[in-house]
Amino acid sequence: MEILTASAGSYPRIGGRPEQQRHRQAHAKLEQGEISKEEFERVQDEVTREGVEEQVKAGLDVVTDGQVRWHDPISHFARRLEGCEINGLLRFFDTNFYFRQPVIKGKLVRREPILKQEFIFAEEVSSKPVKPVVTGPYTLAKLSINRLGGRFQSLVGEFVKIISQEVSDLVSAGAELIQIDEPAILKNSGDFQIFKEAIEKLAAEKGSARLALYTYFGDATSLCKRLLKLPVDVIGLDFTYSPKLANVIANSKCDKELGLGLIDGRNTRLEREQEVLEVLKLVLPNIGSERVYLNPSCGLGDYLPREIAFKKLQNMVAISEKARELI
Amino acid sequence: MMQEKLKRLGLKLPILPTTTVGSFPKPPHLIEARRKFDAKQIRAGELRLIEEQTTREWVSVQEEIGLDVLVDGEMYRGDMATHFANNLDGFKISGLVRSYGNRYYRKPIIAGEVRWRGPITVDWWRFTQGLTKKPVKGMITGPYTMMDWSFNEHYPSRRDACLALAEALHEEVKVLAKAGAKIIQVDEPAISARPEELPEFAVEAMEIITKGVDAYFICHICYGAFEFIYPGMLKLPIDNFDLETSNSELDLVELLRRHPFTKDFSFGVVDVHSHITEDITTVEQRIQRALEVLKPEQLWIDPDCGLKTRTRGETMEKLRVMVDAAKKVRKSLFGNSP
Repeated sequence: MEILTASAGSYPRIGGRPEQQRHRQAHAKLEQGEISKEEFERVQDEVTREGVEEQVKAGLDVVTDGQVRWHDPISHFARRLEGCEINGLLRFFDTNFYFRQPVIKGKLVRREPILKQEFIFAEEVSSKPVKPVVTGPYTLAKLSINRLGGRFQSLVGEFVKIISQEVSDLVSAGAELIQIDEPAILKNSGDFQIFKEAIEKLAAEKGSARLALYTYFGDATSLCKRLLKLPVDVIGLDFTYSPKLANVIANSKCDKELGLGLIDGRNTRLEREQEVLEVLKLVLPNIGSERVYLNPSCGLGDYLPREIAFKKLQNMVAISEKARELI
Repeated sequence: MMQEKLKRLGLKLPILPTTTVGSFPKPPHLIEARRKFDAKQIRAGELRLIEEQTTREWVSVQEEIGLDVLVDGEMYRGDMATHFANNLDGFKISGLVRSYGNRYYRKPIIAGEVRWRGPITVDWWRFTQGLTKKPVKGMITGPYTMMDWSFNEHYPSRRDACLALAEALHEEVKVLAKAGAKIIQVDEPAISARPEELPEFAVEAMEIITKGVDAYFICHICYGAFEFIYPGMLKLPIDNFDLETSNSELDLVELLRRHPFTKDFSFGVVDVHSHITEDITTVEQRIQRALEVLKPEQLWIDPDCGLKTRTRGETMEKLRVMVDAAKKVRKSLFGNSP
């Protein structure tokens, strides 16, 4: 079996050093009208390049663009859609990060591809494969206010339409592995049937690419078996919420590739090699697939200082090397 | 409901007491002085003088407007979690973490055993209480919020971190009460972050905080997902919940209709996130809505949250409308007395 190390999403856009304040300063200048959108885009390009380089330097096998251009995982999509307005700030799950909540007022129409250019740019500057990350239709719908008047299910359907177009654009731009983030399903298992249908529709668009469905910010023990049956290629799981999750996987037959979120993406404490290896020893013998990913439990960009994010990734890579000796 | 306790503590408050949540805006010269102090251009004593002068000004504003329970306005605080982290053993402060958009902050890190090393809030409480005959609230940031808003490198679980913080903050509450604070507010804006943790340990943490301390305890919660923690939150051993209500379109009233409220309630009647001052009729109507589900003797009147993001003018306008509306409702309830 192959163990690959991967990013799970965002990477911090500013750091502690004076030269790492560029994004923050440019953003403020843009808001003051002191620089143009194009100038700000150039800064975002540079910061994206730096973030990709840091992920490569940390030793990752699969990187992301760091989501440097995202305000947050919800409004990054919603603000480019017709039929949608953006409301005030709301806490993002149980984190200390806030997102802008969309209000859906009409049929959703995408004005232009959202992630395609971001992906193409990151691909060009990266020496490692880039995995685009897309917020899933269920989570987008769940965190929006529905003023359509219809049922929740039809709101999910509106977002399925949009995200299917995104997936198919990314496939045509050459993405080989596409991550769909669906944290919201973990605390709303009653919606699983709606969720399942949404994921099935997305999977129909994947063509030659592989889909990785990532869940986090909750305990997946009760949903794990159902998640593993979905028509996607990789299931990403957050191991920081329940110590039981490892046992559940160790006791179920699992033929899918897994994204093992064993590195806490929301805490500065560096994982000890032994604590990660113990879980790997428990779960790896039961995984029938040819490959697993070791990754942080979530994107790091909105939760950790940049210096710590880099150390976390480096530490994860070091642990993965030990893990390879195990198998 | 808790009027007996207030009486026993020697606090004489009118029906529908008016108060504020804690923070007031800092004037530009204080912000500038704080910046200079951080850049080591002025000394602590110099900053302190400005903080004291500003606190005095806010106390006279509160007295002039006619509030019943006063606060110190938090002129000396930056972030509500960091202020306590800086003054407890066991904490470090992290590098920059994103909060939203282009906003970043430094987050506390629990790096070792958390211990109380001496009074954090007593000095400012005593200073402020010395300026007025009205009661001044003692204020601490609660253990659950301190835990939820910090990285944890030391304790094996969120529960362990929270309970250790509760033990440390209990010491602070004890010295506040000993200094004479009869009303103590525990700020817990994060308490609904993981609703399952309320019965698991958040209630226990509050029991540790308040144990054996003879004071009237208020717990302030904002941005809460109350529907997930009500009525379970009534198990918290405190006397008064101070909740954000006007900003959530008074959904709370509907919740309280389903399950009666067993404590006193500080009802947020002005929105602190809006520049616009509510007109008196709107505020009166909000109070009347609260009275649909609460008895007058259960009800306190205040803004949704701290006012530090408003201007001084907006703050004063909002407080005036609030106090005037409370007076009108008092009158309609009891004629001209009390």
